[in-house]
Amino acid sequence: MTNFLTILFDGVAYGMLLFVLASGLAVTLGLMNFVNLAHGAFAAFGGYVCAVLVNRSGVPFFVALPLAFAAAALAGVVAERTLFRHLYRRSELEQVLFTIGFVFMAVAATDYVMGSSQVFINLPDVLQGQIDLFGVGIGRYRLMIIVICGLLTLAIQGTLARTRFGARLRAAVDDPRVASGLGINVPQVFAFTFAFGCGLAGLGGALGAEILGLDPYFPLKFLIYFLIVVTVGGSSTITGPFMAALVLGIADVAGKYYVPKLGAFVIYALMIVILIWRPHGLFGRTVAR
Amino acid sequence: MRDLLVIEELRAGYGEAVVLPRFSLNVAQGEVLALLGRNGTGKTTLINSIVGATRRFAGRLALDGRDITRLRPDQRARAGIGWVPQERNIFRSLTVEENMSAVAQPGEWDIAKVYELFPRLEERRRNFGNQLSGGEQQMLAIGRALVLNPKVLLLDEPTEGLAPIIVDELLAALRRVTRVGATCAIIVEQNARKILGLADRVVILERGGIVHEGPSAPLRADPSVLERFLGVSGGAGTPRDPA
Ligand SMILES: Nc1ncnc2c1ncn2[C@@H]1O[C@H](COP(=O)(O)OP(=O)(O)OP(=O)(O)O)[C@@H](O)[C@H]1O
Ligand SMILES: [Mg+2]
Repeated sequence: MTNFLTILFDGVAYGMLLFVLASGLAVTLGLMNFVNLAHGAFAAFGGYVCAVLVNRSGVPFFVALPLAFAAAALAGVVAERTLFRHLYRRSELEQVLFTIGFVFMAVAATDYVMGSSQVFINLPDVLQGQIDLFGVGIGRYRLMIIVICGLLTLAIQGTLARTRFGARLRAAVDDPRVASGLGINVPQVFAFTFAFGCGLAGLGGALGAEILGLDPYFPLKFLIYFLIVVTVGGSSTITGPFMAALVLGIADVAGKYYVPKLGAFVIYALMIVILIWRPHGLFGRTVAR
Repeated sequence: MRDLLVIEELRAGYGEAVVLPRFSLNVAQGEVLALLGRNGTGKTTLINSIVGATRRFAGRLALDGRDITRLRPDQRARAGIGWVPQERNIFRSLTVEENMSAVAQPGEWDIAKVYELFPRLEERRRNFGNQLSGGEQQMLAIGRALVLNPKVLLLDEPTEGLAPIIVDELLAALRRVTRVGATCAIIVEQNARKILGLADRVVILERGGIVHEGPSAPLRADPSVLERFLGVSGGAGTPRDPA
């Protein structure tokens, strides 16, 4: 029982981390219809920025996290303005090719600059070890992930649903031609959203380095996970990807624990079943938009 | 009266197709202009060209003395163009209130004033765009343009496809809207009779050009001009020009 609860807890932490990592992709893919397979590159970038700041420059971990967000968001702006925006009107295959090419360039560049071995971020003492909660061992680091990612999830949801910016973004997605005819600078709204999604990925990469492992191949290794979160969750809401990320996180942790040799099999079998059973995603609308 | 909107030698269309070959028109401050014409004569293309949503081949546009020819649609909206598109195009994943708050610009018109004009919208303020009736959508499209606080209001067939009782309600509201402030309005209609009472001046389009222009009062007394250019005396649903 204790074991089961610990696994559940780890799975939830893992799932929430996946959500923060993938939420930017959910927005670019679901709202802006741009297939950005290079999303993980911004996550890795944030992770490396955090590692360098903490390990080499002695910046405190909790200061390095927002800096990782900012660095990845900035990288996102530059990439969007110079490269990706040319792809918005292209076919999905061209977007896939372009962004996959970008991933391989990012992997090679990271390897060249940072080396190929896995990077660990030196964590402060408060985040190490476990605390005991009702007899269940709770990792401090994972607890922090749940708190931070939970708050971020609420912030994302609130921004989309309740702010003027969120309404302008939804308007721009619903009908870009009319939105711009009514005074909304659609490309600017999209660029800002893209940058924010990249920033979240960068923060996720920094938070996840400890759990997921950070090496140059990170953007490729976790690409499938991001895509599962987005496609299984459906892209019409942000709640869908959130639930999908939780299910994926728990299933992955449980699968690796109970049937280590079949871990990956379980995940992909689940994904295939859901995609056949609910073509618009587990929580997607059943009517195509 | 000073000209608020000036269109000079405009040549516009879509892709390679020219719909308006050489179009000029001035609209004065406070003026309400009825833009009439059969199906496919270029009324929507003209409205969309003022918005900036068509391809411009030549010509220039000015709004309140400022050249807006090279402005993007969003810049034109902020400069004072208030667009009520023919398809209404309510943002369906936004609530009634969000449809307005997302685009609102400071000025005389705010959401509370729109609710005064269309109390029905206030009752439905938390409903999403895709849960509205046709009449409510049209009210919202007008309210959404009003909270932009435009200098020029462009209404593309605001009564199309609506029940007569709703049409009367809308026209009464438009009468109130166009009688206040330093704005002007262009109202596109198929059904001429309905807006002759509202308009100061009438422009009739045929194949992208003006075939009649003049004050609306004489047409109210003698609709023969309407008969000549629109088929019946301002009836709706006239057949497409075979030429
Ligand atoms: N997006 C478009 N691309 C190409 N041609 C178009 C487009 N929209 C309209 N047209 C053409 O431009 C011409 C004028 O159309 P427009 O929509 O301006 O007419 P309208 O007077 O508004 O007609 P209606 O009363 O039916 O709304 C038509 O021949 C139409 O086929
Ligand atoms: Mg039209």
